[in-house]
Amino acid sequence: MTAPRFLPCIKCLIAALVIAIAAALAFIYSGLYPVGADDHHTPLTYWALETLRERSVDRASSGIEVPADLDRSERLLAGGADYNDMCAGCHLKPGKDESDFTLGLNPAPPNLTQPHQGEEDLESRAQHRFWVIKHGIKASGMPAWGPNHDDERIWSMVAFLRRLPELSPEQYQVLTARGSAEAPHH
Amino acid sequence: MTYKTLRWLAVLPALILVLAVQAHEPSEHMEEAEKPKCSEMKDMDHAEMDMDDPVMQAMMKKCKQHMDKKDADSKESEHRHSESDDDATRKSQHDH
Repeated sequence: MTAPRFLPCIKCLIAALVIAIAAALAFIYSGLYPVGADDHHTPLTYWALETLRERSVDRASSGIEVPADLDRSERLLAGGADYNDMCAGCHLKPGKDESDFTLGLNPAPPNLTQPHQGEEDLESRAQHRFWVIKHGIKASGMPAWGPNHDDERIWSMVAFLRRLPELSPEQYQVLTARGSAEAPHH
Repeated sequence: MTYKTLRWLAVLPALILVLAVQAHEPSEHMEEAEKPKCSEMKDMDHAEMDMDDPVMQAMMKKCKQHMDKKDADSKESEHRHSESDDDATRKSQHDH
């Protein structure tokens, strides 16, 4: 009885796999990979990371039910104050073009005061944003706010994000201030 | 390991968790809360304000106290002004 002809080929594949794993481990342990945030990725790495992120969030957020009352003024007030405390440092506020975080983080956090460039509809964008705020994104500087913030609070932030690009600095200040209005002085 | 040590091992993580949750309560931010600059609203063109717009509704809600006080003050000022005008008219008639 003769051995099947593909057997030597399987041995070659296993050997190639072992060599590849050994080379990857050697690279990891060598310390040669630059991890500094000021050392930018290659365009190919950016493409791979962004595609991985977008596809993962699209899949994970597709079943989320979006509340029908996202345009309520109460949501804007609740979400605005939270956005100002938790997000504005990285994602900016009207009238600001950069911060220490936008200059130092890699990848740079998106400027959410600018109109959204993607092609997805309002519903998908709301699902996407809710999921990202709740779960965060690994190794990107975006934390998961879900452990300490309930869904209603996160939806209010999503509601605020919808209107953020239209706000003037003065409107932003009024909507995001947590304190109550002072009576006019004489 | 004693029962007391075990009890501490159970209570301590729970206590840390509770404190971590409280740190993100909106009330925690209220101590240094920024006040809305409602006086900026008076410079806005009221004719162009869309009162059905949730942004405008939210701003009105936030500045309600400020606006109410301003309205009350302007009514009071008008009232005082008309009273002083009446007094001046009466005084003028009396002099004649």
